[in-house]
Amino acid sequence: MTATTTNVVEAARAIDLVKAYGAGQAQVHALAGVSVRFEASRFTAVMGPSGSGKSTLMHCMAGLDRPTSGQSLIEGTDLTSLGDGRLTELRRDRIGFVFQSFNLVPTLTAAENITLPVDLAGRKVDKSWFDHLVTQLGLANRLGHRPSEMSGGQQQRVACARALINRPALVFADEPTGNLDSNASAELLTFLQHSVAEMGQSIVMVTHDPHGASFADRVVFLSDGRVVDELEAPTADSVLERMRTLGS
Amino acid sequence: MGRVTLKGILAHKLRLALTAIAIILGVTFIAGTYVLTDTLHATFDALVGSIYQNIDFQVRGVAQFPTKDAATATRNPISESLLATVRKVPGVEVAEGTVSGSVQFVAPDGTLIANGGEPTLGVNFDPNPQVSDLRIVEGRAPSAPYDVVMDAATAQKYHFHVAQRVKILSALGTDTFTISGIAQYGSANTLAGVTLAGFTLPTAQRLMQEPRQLSNINIVTRPGTDQAAVGRAIARVLPKGVQVVTGKTVLAEQTSSIDQDLSFFSTALLIFALIALFVGAFTIFNTFSILVGQRTRELALLRAVGATRRQVFRSVLAEAAIVGLLASGIGLGLGVLTALGIEELLRGFGITLPAGALVFEARTVIVSLAVGVGVTVVSALGPARRAVRVPPVAALGDRELDAGFPARRRAVAGAVLFALGVVFLASGLAKPEVSLVGLGAAAIFLGVAILAPTFSRPLASVIGRPFVRVLGVGGRIGRENSIRNPRRTAQTAAALMVGMALVAVMAIYSASASRSTTGSFDSAVRADLIVSTTSSDEAGTVNPGLPHVLASLPGVTASTVVYGGQFEVGQTVEQLKAISSGGLADTIIVHMVSGSLGSLRHGSLLVDSTTARRNHLAVGDPVRVKFALSGPTTMRVGGIYQPNAVIGSYLIGDAFYRSHYADPTPGAVLLDTDGSSRVEMLVRHAVAPYRGLQVQTAAEFKKSETAQVNRVLGLVYALLALAVLIALISIVNTLMLSVLERTREIGLLRAVGMRRHQVRTMIRSEAVILAAFGAIIGLLLGAGLGVALVASLGSQGVTITTVPIAELVAFFVLACALGLGAATWPARRAARLDVLQAIATN
Ligand SMILES: Nc1ncnc2c1ncn2[C@@H]1O[C@H](COP(=O)(O)OP(=O)(O)OP(=O)(O)O)[C@@H](O)[C@H]1O
Ligand SMILES: [Mg+2]
Repeated sequence: MTATTTNVVEAARAIDLVKAYGAGQAQVHALAGVSVRFEASRFTAVMGPSGSGKSTLMHCMAGLDRPTSGQSLIEGTDLTSLGDGRLTELRRDRIGFVFQSFNLVPTLTAAENITLPVDLAGRKVDKSWFDHLVTQLGLANRLGHRPSEMSGGQQQRVACARALINRPALVFADEPTGNLDSNASAELLTFLQHSVAEMGQSIVMVTHDPHGASFADRVVFLSDGRVVDELEAPTADSVLERMRTLGS
Repeated sequence: MGRVTLKGILAHKLRLALTAIAIILGVTFIAGTYVLTDTLHATFDALVGSIYQNIDFQVRGVAQFPTKDAATATRNPISESLLATVRKVPGVEVAEGTVSGSVQFVAPDGTLIANGGEPTLGVNFDPNPQVSDLRIVEGRAPSAPYDVVMDAATAQKYHFHVAQRVKILSALGTDTFTISGIAQYGSANTLAGVTLAGFTLPTAQRLMQEPRQLSNINIVTRPGTDQAAVGRAIARVLPKGVQVVTGKTVLAEQTSSIDQDLSFFSTALLIFALIALFVGAFTIFNTFSILVGQRTRELALLRAVGATRRQVFRSVLAEAAIVGLLASGIGLGLGVLTALGIEELLRGFGITLPAGALVFEARTVIVSLAVGVGVTVVSALGPARRAVRVPPVAALGDRELDAGFPARRRAVAGAVLFALGVVFLASGLAKPEVSLVGLGAAAIFLGVAILAPTFSRPLASVIGRPFVRVLGVGGRIGRENSIRNPRRTAQTAAALMVGMALVAVMAIYSASASRSTTGSFDSAVRADLIVSTTSSDEAGTVNPGLPHVLASLPGVTASTVVYGGQFEVGQTVEQLKAISSGGLADTIIVHMVSGSLGSLRHGSLLVDSTTARRNHLAVGDPVRVKFALSGPTTMRVGGIYQPNAVIGSYLIGDAFYRSHYADPTPGAVLLDTDGSSRVEMLVRHAVAPYRGLQVQTAAEFKKSETAQVNRVLGLVYALLALAVLIALISIVNTLMLSVLERTREIGLLRAVGMRRHQVRTMIRSEAVILAAFGAIIGLLLGAGLGVALVASLGSQGVTITTVPIAELVAFFVLACALGLGAATWPARRAARLDVLQAIATN
């Protein structure tokens, strides 16, 4: 799978992914054969109606869940061929996550939550990287706080820092701004955009918000468990228009 | 990951503290037992050591019967003349004869002085400093026939002083002596509670009924002689039936005898400690299961960001280990304090232990910590395995996850364990083998605990029905809460189940044992009055002249003297009773199965039907027996009678008894009277001078026999109360965790209009349903186990099986009340939740 074009490297790739829930008549195909590539150092948004399989795709591609069939690759490694141990290590070292909510361990402080993947690996924290992330995200004076003592936006920023602390190959974010107001959303999205542009981070983000999608370099549209369309260099308007045509 | 573990512990301080209590109690018990028994060991060893350390050899009678415990073996006295013979043996420097037996001082208020079960020694006081550590600290040695030397502790405690008069009870009755001196061993004024009366040699011989005889001779050899050679030389001059042993042997015998007594005692206490920990293990298992359940999302999140299965597994176990270690440490500390407490507790039940400095051994620390941590970690293994099965995706949804065993596999595992337990228990009871019984019971409990979730929903729902009717909405939701998670309900109730089962076993055993005792006395005694000894001590044997006096009192229509002794049948030493046959028909009820009672007069042996069956004996069969005095002989079985509480398994006539035992000692006199109160008064009057004897009516006699059973039971119940207490902690813990877990839900209920008292009712209903569930299963299970236990004790005199329904119902009500009590704190906490805050929590 050496899929390289001139200067765009592949970070992750799904090949004919199928995820079925239930059996017989009641069977639901959350993913009905999805093939998609996410390039390195790019910010990709995934959009689609509710129930279209966006979260399921994230989970299967990030090694959180196993697909019914098909392959998902991270930096050329087929996740479906890995055992739980290797998969866990890969998640810890090469993948970062930001969920819509419940991102943080409630008993740990912000700082401890951020360094959790490093601590789990038993490695030393890269102090300058940690400081950089914390300053960028404006968390410097929140480090000793527990999740319950922070606002939703702050919690999401802590989750972002945690997702990036290991300099992963790819960050998956499933509606990271779903619970935030427009200001907090913009802050977070700007940060994500910057980390792609300045540090070459690869990010895949699920969102419902056309304005949010406009921060990305590319948008992939899902519907009924299939990729139905995509859009390069999106703006809020172009996304909205595309959604309208798809919905009709 | 270490940090996650630590923070987890700190975040759940309260819940874990509750868990820790279960461990603390168990470990406290273990440590306390060890400290106490080690202290007793040290005290007794010091005592024995101080008595025997200077002696090189001891000459004594050969044990009458081979026995494992040489120190307490019955030995014939040796002739006084041997003393001169032994002194002539070259190499012997000192040889002192001792006569020792049991006598008791009478306190100024007329009661007998005894420190619990400690010996009350009477000896000849002739302390040679080379042989003994005993010295006079005040006054002088006894010289006149009625002089006595008293030990310093007794003198101090009862304010006796030199030249004062004191009454002393011996086998001859009560006599008045003059205190010539006060003595003590080395620098200790007490010898572990032993009281000591020292007399001149002739007086001692008279009181112990061993005229011109000695109990033994203690020998010190001349320095520099060949010890072994001296020993051989002594052996050569001894007649048959007398032996010489080294001082070391005597010391070892005494020590091992003490060890045997103490190990029985410490085993009993350790069994209770294990029961407490076993019940505690359920509590721990339950707490960790709930904690893991509540933290599903947190654990899933850890897995999602890269924690390996092993890391999650280790973190749960580490949490358990830390809690176990802390709790064991606390338990260890409390154990030392409890050692003193247990001593008090035992004193409360009439068992006094000697005082001594507390002994704290490394073994105590190691075992306490190892068992405490071990039990905690093992109990957390299951929950830890469940934590590992939490899939990372669980972090993302609100979906309820059940990572437990599938119901079918669970039921099979439970049933197999239960069946195994029954097999172990049955073979353990049949053998009998205590550890097998324990293993079987443990397996049965575990099996039922595993099976319990399969029937907890219907059962709890039935138990909860009245709550719905009586308590309205609070009761209804309480009931629903108790059935919505069957596994948790079952786990929570499991600890109480074990506690209640043990209580039920004891209740059935005690009811059956006391009914059997009364029953067997009912069908054994016809006499109106019974004169017997107050203690099993030698000092209390009935004066041989007394039976005649009693028989000739006006109003006494018949009297029977019961003697007791040992003899050897086949390879074993057995207790035997002898009765005088005159007037037998009016005092003792003997139902003959075959043969005749009259054959007693012709020197036949009578056995009870149980023994006859066991040894395949029939009337007319010859039996090889051996008496200490006369050696081996063959007796004929003259008759077989139904088991009888008064006469035991083997019975002979009194004439035969007198000709085969050196000093016949009547154990009891049974009197049939005309029933008037005058005759009772006359009997009491005749017995009054003999301290240590008591006169009881038939009814009183029966009662005192059952009272003995009940006194031990009181202690057992007190110890089982501990297990029930730990079980209650399990309920408090679960409710507390449930309240925390349902904070949102309770907030919602409050928001839509549930009143505080309804919230309390809800929690309390749940608690009572849990308690009732545990109690019902426990009592049923206990009833089964109890009946099995009693059935296996048939040969030991527990012949009637009684299930005390009223008592069991009372225990059930008590358990429910305790459950209600356990709900107090969680209910208050739930009722006080701030509505807005509760809803905001996520
Ligand atoms: N555990 C499950 N069991 C059964 N069906 C499931 C499960 N998880 C998801 N589904 C189904 O799979 C489909 C896709 O779900 P998914 O969560 O991926 O949608 P989504 O695109 O993320 O939607 P949303 O925008 O609402 O988050 C849905 O129809 C959903 O009902
Ligand atoms: Mg989704």
